[in-house]
Amino acid sequence: MKRGPWNRRLFLKTTGLGLVALGAGGPPRFLERLVSQAHADASGRRRRTLVAIFQRGAMDGLMAVPPLEDAGLKELRPRLAMTPRASDARARPLDLGNGFGLHPAFEPLRGLYRDGVLALVHGIGSPNNTRSHFDAQDFMETGTPFRKGTDSGWLNRALRLAPAPEPTPFRAVALTGALPRSLYGSEPALAISDLRQFRLRGRGRTSPTTSAHGFESLYEQTAMELLRDAGDESFEAMRTLKELDASSYEPAPGADYPDGGLGAALKQIAFLIKSGVGLEVGFAETGGWDTHVGQGTFQGAFAKRSRDLARCIAAFWTDIAAHRDDVVLLTMTEFGRTVHENGSGGTDHGRASCSFVLGTRVDGGKVHGGVPRLRRNELEDGRDLPVQIDFRRVFAEVAGRHLGVQQDAALFPGWDGSRYPLLRA
Amino acid sequence: MPWSDAGLSEHQAASHLVDRFTFGPTPGLVDQIVAQGLEEWLARQLRADARSDDLDAKLAALGTLALTNDEIVRDYPRPGRLRRQAIAAGRLDPELAGGDQRRVLRQYAQEMGYKPQRQIVGELVAQRLYRAVHSPNQVAEVLVDFWFNHLYVSATDNQCRRFIGTYERDVVRAHVFGRFVEMLRASARHPAMLLYLDNALSSAPEHVATPVTLAQAELRQQPGRAGRRYDKIFEQMERNEAKRQKRMQEIPEERPPRRGVNENYARELLELHTLGVDGGYTQRDVEEIARALTGWTLLPDGERRARIRERMQRPLAAQLGFVLDGDFLFAADRHDAEAKQVLGRALPPGRGIEEGEDVLDMLAHHPSTARHLARKLAVRFVRDDPPASLVERLAAAFEASGGDLREMVWALVACPEFWDESARRAKVKSPYELAASSVRALGAEVVRPRHLARWVDRMGQPLYRYQAPMGFPDRATAWVDAGALLQRMNFGMSLAAGRVPGVRVDVAQALGGREPESADAALVEYSRALLPGRDVEPTLTALRPLLGQAQIAAEIDRRAAAAERDAGSRASAGMDSMQPQMEGPEEALIDPLAPEEDSGAEASEPAALTLTQVVGLILGSPEFQRR
Repeated sequence: MKRGPWNRRLFLKTTGLGLVALGAGGPPRFLERLVSQAHADASGRRRRTLVAIFQRGAMDGLMAVPPLEDAGLKELRPRLAMTPRASDARARPLDLGNGFGLHPAFEPLRGLYRDGVLALVHGIGSPNNTRSHFDAQDFMETGTPFRKGTDSGWLNRALRLAPAPEPTPFRAVALTGALPRSLYGSEPALAISDLRQFRLRGRGRTSPTTSAHGFESLYEQTAMELLRDAGDESFEAMRTLKELDASSYEPAPGADYPDGGLGAALKQIAFLIKSGVGLEVGFAETGGWDTHVGQGTFQGAFAKRSRDLARCIAAFWTDIAAHRDDVVLLTMTEFGRTVHENGSGGTDHGRASCSFVLGTRVDGGKVHGGVPRLRRNELEDGRDLPVQIDFRRVFAEVAGRHLGVQQDAALFPGWDGSRYPLLRA
Repeated sequence: MPWSDAGLSEHQAASHLVDRFTFGPTPGLVDQIVAQGLEEWLARQLRADARSDDLDAKLAALGTLALTNDEIVRDYPRPGRLRRQAIAAGRLDPELAGGDQRRVLRQYAQEMGYKPQRQIVGELVAQRLYRAVHSPNQVAEVLVDFWFNHLYVSATDNQCRRFIGTYERDVVRAHVFGRFVEMLRASARHPAMLLYLDNALSSAPEHVATPVTLAQAELRQQPGRAGRRYDKIFEQMERNEAKRQKRMQEIPEERPPRRGVNENYARELLELHTLGVDGGYTQRDVEEIARALTGWTLLPDGERRARIRERMQRPLAAQLGFVLDGDFLFAADRHDAEAKQVLGRALPPGRGIEEGEDVLDMLAHHPSTARHLARKLAVRFVRDDPPASLVERLAAAFEASGGDLREMVWALVACPEFWDESARRAKVKSPYELAASSVRALGAEVVRPRHLARWVDRMGQPLYRYQAPMGFPDRATAWVDAGALLQRMNFGMSLAAGRVPGVRVDVAQALGGREPESADAALVEYSRALLPGRDVEPTLTALRPLLGQAQIAAEIDRRAAAAERDAGSRASAGMDSMQPQMEGPEEALIDPLAPEEDSGAEASEPAALTLTQVVGLILGSPEFQRR
């Protein structure tokens, strides 16, 4: 079958073919619904996608986006500080023209910042000052910073509260091994690290074709509605992915995803967006940000992770060029790191960090929030960047403006703060 | 047991009982229970005294199951501590790159005789699967799953991870047929719970009276030399403490928590463990209970462990109100000894550990707790939306028996709602239940549970690794979605085909070694064997049309087997148009977790079902997902 570029009309034409093998005719029903909706809805809302990237381990926001003219940085971080006057040019931050710099590993994002589609939110964090990764990630993912028992994640609640679309098994997909806590909850969400694995396995005598036939006929006639519907969805999803042929997906020219987990995840998210299967939340994660040891400067642990993140995001943005108006990408991390460096060339658990928010309607090309003067007496507990923007303000803004969530109080139970203005209507 | 009132035959009743209180029928189990008598079987199960040498041998191979908390602290250090120790010993250069550090640390750990914590969790998962599949005491095992999930601790928390095995053993298994209050007390004192929900950190704020300040004042007030002697002792203690505080400040990870109450455990204790979210308590109650439990902590790691333990043996420790029980420590100097008010009851000032014990008793015997637990039991053992009448009946039984957990099983089966048509097959198996029941239905044997565990993960239930303190959800909608269902189908197929490494499967075992006469007979006999007591007609109706080429199927089976024997690694593509998807030679050597390739082109007409496929389809069928 024909390979991309993906186009709904072409897709519909081709989906009629080759389905016999899976034991059914015609295109997946939910896709028909989606496509017809898109046609009828030319002037109305389009299906929008929020891409969330969790940087697990707590990214050092101060190294990502350092202030350029604060002598305190060098004092508190004799080995880690990167300043415009560094003797080695590679160790100089990229000047953003507003007193802040960008770590050179984020060079692939500089153009997006300049184009005004990338916003940097500095001083973002949680009102709960726990320095435990476990607790802080939970608090951020549930969206309830003082409540460990919350059983749903904020992204799942966002889907519940957003205008209900036609059902599709691909409404929320985490490209992760296990479902992240952000997506726990009542709305169905798929966790799968490799879309190509979404199929019946089997070889030789246990041919997947025959098995599919058998399972379909078993699930079609079963009395329990839940199982019947999920079975139906499952087969539709399998057919869709088979038709879309994820394994032969080729990103747009110039979309150069680095090897590794995050690149693979974002590539698949781009694939789902471009396939028009109704993705509203795509979730990916990246680890290795817990830089207690050997954090490095222009090279080293931090630079390596950051370069990967920046290249992944840049490739993704290139890949979905035609869909940019429908996509917002948001990075998050559980907390930031100490302003002073520790005894092993690293930093310890701190408070505020920074987030990247990318989208054509984002108030980009600037640094929102900020950092105080880097003097011990201006830091939280004499050591950390204080939290100036509650992460819920940014999450609520994105869920509200982008996904159409209206009830912030239900999105973040127990919170009565206001959204942080970051997206244009 | 009022099963006949619900119109059930004894065989159907036995099948329902097995669905609810075991990890699924093994070949012949339902008949055996009918022969034994349902009441007699359940009574025996509730004594939980059956032995299995095979199971014991499997469990004996898992060395971590017998560890004590002390041994865990000694041999399974937390990674941060290991690192600090290696640096202090001059063995690790903190400037080394990450990969080199890990290598040096591994080497160092090995020399020191340290073991990795993941071994504990790995063996814990293994024993759960061994027991679910092979334990003759199935009811106990089902209840361990239930109560562990109720008083849940998570292996995703790196503080409590290494203590989860002893938690399950000493808190849950030890009390699974005891009284609820005993299990609750044990959990409140166990390091896993103390760390998971942070009570270990919770202390009275600065300048609040503690049993220690009260006792010290009293001792110092003694006339003459006795009083002066205590003055001296306590002044020395204060100096030591100040020194310790200073030293600890220099090690960030060892920095003692700032003083202050942590409400986390108190909140979950009320909301999840006892009264339930609508149980009629207020935020004030959470705060007051948290204060009542301040000072409930555990012995620290490292050199301080021995020192504090030694100090706790001295008579003065008891005089000041300290209590050491195993590695549970009531740190009297961290306990808020002022007056409190809990659930409308005034707690007088000046008390120590007994205050928290009273609170736990009060909560365990609160009527809301009876209703909360009654509802949870009804959801687990009857249906996702249990009728109010059932919940009330069970709550009354809970109160009448003083929370006797064995009595609760009898109470459940005494309820007409338990046997009602609306309860039968009403539950969707959790992935853990599905995996265990599939292996059991086939009469298969687990020899290495690792891959089986991976399947349970993949179907959506990473054992011990649910992140939130409420434990895995217990309702069908949480388990069934398009992705999870697909994994269930794949699991059924893989298991039947013998492609789950570590599980010895011979599908003929499910029929007691009998070979069916024809493809249709195979379908009928396997459906009945794997779904005893169920109506198998819908399954037969769905699958029968696919058996059209039964002879060919049998032929393919025989030929494939012959080809595997003969051909070795010879490429099989294009050998025979009848077998378009001939597989490679050694299934067992192929990593089942690696992406698979569908070999060969796809046929436009599906081929007939094979025997293993019939079995796989039944295991993956909607009927088999229910219990």
